[in-house]
Amino acid sequence: MRINFKSVLSVVLLSLSHNAFAQLNIFACEPEYAALAKEIAPDARIYSATTAMQDPHQVQARPSLIAKMRQADLVICAGAELEVGWLPMLQMKAANARVRSTDEGLFFAAEHVQTLDQDSNADRSMGDVHSLGNPHVHFSPQRILTLAQALTQKLIQLDEEQAQTYIQRLDDFEKRWILAMKKWQQSANQLNGMKVIAYHSSFRYLFDFTGIEQVADLEPKPGLPPTSSHLASLLKQAKNDNVTAIVVASYQSERGANWLAEKANLPVVVLPLSVGGNEQSHDLFSLYDSVLALLTQVSMRKD
Amino acid sequence: MNNFKFFPMHIANKVCVAFAMLAFIPSLSQAQVPTLSNPTVSIALDGYYQNEERLMTERVEGFGLGETELAFSASIDDMFFGKLTTVFEMHEGESEVNVEEAFIQTMALPNGFTLRAGRFLSDIGYLNNQHLHSDAFTSRPSAYRAFLGGHYFDDGIRVSYIAPTDLYWTLGAEVFTGKSIRAEDELGEREYDSTGVYTAFTKIGGDVSIESSWQLGLSYLRNENGQLIHQDHSEEVHEDEHDEAHSAAYTGKNTFIADFVFKWAPNGNYKYQHLTLSAEYFSVSDFMADEFDGEHLIDEDHEAEAKAEDRHNAWYISGVYQFSPSWSAGLRYGKLNSYALDEEHFELQKLKETEFSVAWHNSHFSTVRLEVSHQSSEGFEQAHADNVISLQYVMTLGAHNAHQF
Repeated sequence: MRINFKSVLSVVLLSLSHNAFAQLNIFACEPEYAALAKEIAPDARIYSATTAMQDPHQVQARPSLIAKMRQADLVICAGAELEVGWLPMLQMKAANARVRSTDEGLFFAAEHVQTLDQDSNADRSMGDVHSLGNPHVHFSPQRILTLAQALTQKLIQLDEEQAQTYIQRLDDFEKRWILAMKKWQQSANQLNGMKVIAYHSSFRYLFDFTGIEQVADLEPKPGLPPTSSHLASLLKQAKNDNVTAIVVASYQSERGANWLAEKANLPVVVLPLSVGGNEQSHDLFSLYDSVLALLTQVSMRKD
Repeated sequence: MNNFKFFPMHIANKVCVAFAMLAFIPSLSQAQVPTLSNPTVSIALDGYYQNEERLMTERVEGFGLGETELAFSASIDDMFFGKLTTVFEMHEGESEVNVEEAFIQTMALPNGFTLRAGRFLSDIGYLNNQHLHSDAFTSRPSAYRAFLGGHYFDDGIRVSYIAPTDLYWTLGAEVFTGKSIRAEDELGEREYDSTGVYTAFTKIGGDVSIESSWQLGLSYLRNENGQLIHQDHSEEVHEDEHDEAHSAAYTGKNTFIADFVFKWAPNGNYKYQHLTLSAEYFSVSDFMADEFDGEHLIDEDHEAEAKAEDRHNAWYISGVYQFSPSWSAGLRYGKLNSYALDEEHFELQKLKETEFSVAWHNSHFSTVRLEVSHQSSEGFEQAHADNVISLQYVMTLGAHNAHQF
């Protein structure tokens, strides 16, 4: 019985096997990684599981995502437990052995770069923190460069035939990125030292790059919504600390921020969390341009 | 009958679980990443107070514990994944330790095939394979309580396939012992098939837009031991047995289930607001074995109905809305029509239930729920209260469990 089943299975499997490997199927957990994949593998069929308007911590392991992961040759995610609430369920249900292991078609960005704020003593009383560090690494230009290189290696591993194309695309991307970095560094220098109150640690790497100081968080603890007592304490801090602006990401509620802004007479800046988070940001380059322009605008207003 | 279906010794179980807990406690205190040597450990705590008892539930009046769950899971190697879920629960006033899941699953079969073996939750219907602590109400709908003993888990094997299409489409089949959903054997002399339950199911689903997703499921369960056979009541019935936890109140040979789920969130962002609508329909037919035919077993008042349909049925519809990260509310309405054998007659029973629940979520991991339920029943032996008020907490600690759609 068992032998029969096995032989029947293997015949079925062989006949169905990989008839369409010509176009690589890429499943990105977040739009920034879909955008990065598009730079290196523009001909691939790329699908982003989330948009910049959605909280990447809280995603439903919905049928459409399972169906997409079932077909994927490569899955690219931030890692560092950002997707811990939904990615394991997708992997379990999609039954796609190709994207189960980082040795094969699974790529975690956080495994290729140094993450900030690692804390091995993290526990739940501190809120929704990640012991592997902050997973929102895509706002670090230097780290994006490293990730582009690592992703190219992964693409070559999975699709050797097109290795030459991937190397060329990486080379082209690196040139354009390094050039843009010079421009972004100038904006960053202007922003250095600016103080903001932000929502969550979504822009930890952006603030690290620009030298912006996040003096307080709208969330009393990571993942917990702003409370009125917490907002009241922020109001005091905003007055004392010479804060320039309140920064929220495109998927975050502006309610708490608007209340505080009105009381403390501060501007609220809504930054796109990722590609597609506002009209201007349609790829990684324009995402950085847009974010830095928005912050520069608000810093000028102050001066 | 033995209280512990699958394990002869109560104590052995407790010792095992305690030992397992001790071994893994260090990894609980640090939110480490699960690895081969560091399995995912999670605990769900569930406690409640309710002012009355409800039909076909284990929850007693007053204070009590619901399903307190301790689960371990990890990849075993590159091919297999394993999970053990032990449940501490109350049953007829006594505390029990049950193994609810103990399965292995293949993770690396090619072309979308998966095999699972051991003890696990059947994938029929929408709610059945979901853990109780993720429910939005204190009890499962009457359909689940009546026909599946709350939720149906059993020892067996499953094969499932997922198609490589953009429309989600999965097919599966299971074979189980069927011990918990056997028809009643009042005289204790019936021979049951040891492999009694066969299921087949399919689910399709997708997105309507960036904001809305849906899933539709159809399931069939064949229960070889589901029919009541005619037993001679001239002998005195011995009533010393008591029912096992999770045994179904009503069984039949053929069960069909249709389920539908729709979820919506503004911009598809589940952080602040989202809506879940779900509905299921159960039909459990052929509960009378052929021997009943031709005899005057149907209660005369209901003769026409019962003869026309040798069939129990139940359905529910539920809507849950989370209106802020901290608050959600749910409304559910369900109906059950069943037939119970009373001496020599089948009596029609009807149950209507309406539940309204409000939950406060301090974080993703802690919920406190207040529920008011109204029920009206006909034909049940025990007269139960019309209104039940319950206050419940459900909290999870340890690993962050991934939730199903």
